[in-house]
Amino acid sequence: MEMIPHVAKARRRANPYLDLGSYDPEADLMVLNLGPQHPSTHGVFRLKLYLDGEIIVKVVPFVGYLHRGVEKLCEKLTMVQLIPIFDKNDYVSPMMNEQSLVMAFEALLGIEVPRRARYVRTLLAELQRIASHLLWLGAFAMDLGGALGGGSTLFMYCFRERELILDVFEDLTGCRFHYNTHMIGGNRHDVPAGWATKVHAAINAIETRLPEYETFLITNDIYIERTRGVGVVDGQLSMDLGITGPVLRAGGVDHDLRRDAPYHCYDEIEVRVATATAGDCEARAAVRMAEIRESIRLVRELIDNIPEGPLGARKPIKTPLAEKAAKGHAYAAVESPRGELGIYVIGGGDNKGASPYRLKIRSPSLHVLGCLPYILPGHSVSDAVAVLGSVDPIMGEVDR
Amino acid sequence: MKLLGAENSEEVQKLLIEQFEAMENSLGGPPVVAVVRHLELAKKLRDEYQYRIFGFVVAAHYPAPAKDANGVGELIRVSYGLRSVGKGTKLATWQVCIPVDGAIPTLVPLFAGADWQEREQFDLVGVRFDGHPDPRRLMLSEDWQGHPLRKDYAIDTKVHPWR
Repeated sequence: MEMIPHVAKARRRANPYLDLGSYDPEADLMVLNLGPQHPSTHGVFRLKLYLDGEIIVKVVPFVGYLHRGVEKLCEKLTMVQLIPIFDKNDYVSPMMNEQSLVMAFEALLGIEVPRRARYVRTLLAELQRIASHLLWLGAFAMDLGGALGGGSTLFMYCFRERELILDVFEDLTGCRFHYNTHMIGGNRHDVPAGWATKVHAAINAIETRLPEYETFLITNDIYIERTRGVGVVDGQLSMDLGITGPVLRAGGVDHDLRRDAPYHCYDEIEVRVATATAGDCEARAAVRMAEIRESIRLVRELIDNIPEGPLGARKPIKTPLAEKAAKGHAYAAVESPRGELGIYVIGGGDNKGASPYRLKIRSPSLHVLGCLPYILPGHSVSDAVAVLGSVDPIMGEVDR
Repeated sequence: MKLLGAENSEEVQKLLIEQFEAMENSLGGPPVVAVVRHLELAKKLRDEYQYRIFGFVVAAHYPAPAKDANGVGELIRVSYGLRSVGKGTKLATWQVCIPVDGAIPTLVPLFAGADWQEREQFDLVGVRFDGHPDPRRLMLSEDWQGHPLRKDYAIDTKVHPWR
């Protein structure tokens, strides 16, 4: 008979394939469907929870409610047409999706990107990371209950700060969310005059307000009660599940693609990788807060030294069909705010080779959700909501 | 015989060719390893070469060629990737090639993350994984007909609205 571990002892791996027939026959098990329409699931996601009283015994997650068949679409559209579609996958950090996609196509076609374009991409990636983590912070505070930070105050404040970054993106690209600013071989939009001043103003404003949020949330006693020791994902479990990003680093594994396998211009600057050892919700939050600060530092270092030179390796092509893919396989990965976002592409498909034959998105959010059946048993339902918020899944990217 | 943008390290390439008799795929991509030695390779890479982060499983469907003189038939090629940890991280990749009705031993005993990835590839491409503990569809509903990422599945295939 499987014993229910208490929350404090829930450090061990639960068995996700637990046969409920072997569970205590005296227990009055209840099935609770958390989702698919539930504010704490950050989209449409269903968790089937088997409860013994308030304690979770077994978890069966269901994904796919947002499945749009992006990978099938990739086989029908040409490579150039795909870039704006990838903005919608991880709709909280669209820049990263575009970057991983164009990097995979550049590897496939053997295109070398000029330094100025790589530099601007680095800058956009770091600004996007700040925006994405700010949205996570606000949503996480909401998940933990409105009482923290005075109702939805922190949520609204984080959205206000994220707005500053969306404004500088709008100045650059003309769009607030779905930018379509990357091209195969370079960038589409050049940095406008006076942009650096606006970026400085935005990140200065965010930096001065960060300590305020930490007083609101991170040092709040209720918050510490809700997150310390809850939902421990240790480094070994993370690696087995293929989890990367802040969740892996919070479990004590020092791994970050920006530093360890540099792409763009990350080999020219020093990235200080934040880690924690506890692996619980509190550690994941601390790692993300440190990453916001690190990104602010990187943006400050990058913004004033944008090198001169061309922004693209070649002229923009006139028709989508002009792109002819080399046959072969290519893979490119970026460190998105949620972990390793990789694109595996096989070239030479329809439209006379202008479409990929097969394209697979290795989405960090799908891997991170795989941890729930292992860590949730032993916790209460309210803890499940806290854990789900702390791993920061984006459903558009999970289901694709 | 390589994955563009993420080549195997020299020692892994040597291991694949010398010990696992990996073959070149004429269509490109990572080296092809025999299905029977696939699990052994993953275990060796994880335990001896420290490729400990689970990467990806990608299956691609290849219909039978129009003039099939050699009797190649309908194939599914599955690429695997594992990642090493920390500074100078590398990707170790290999391919497995099976007939369309064949099966591949599952990686779930070695990497828990293979569970959902293999379910997704089964769901969308229709490749079977031997010994998988929970072989259900992942993205589509249980009663879905066919596998959408097969090349013979038309993109405008009619779907009943209540699915």
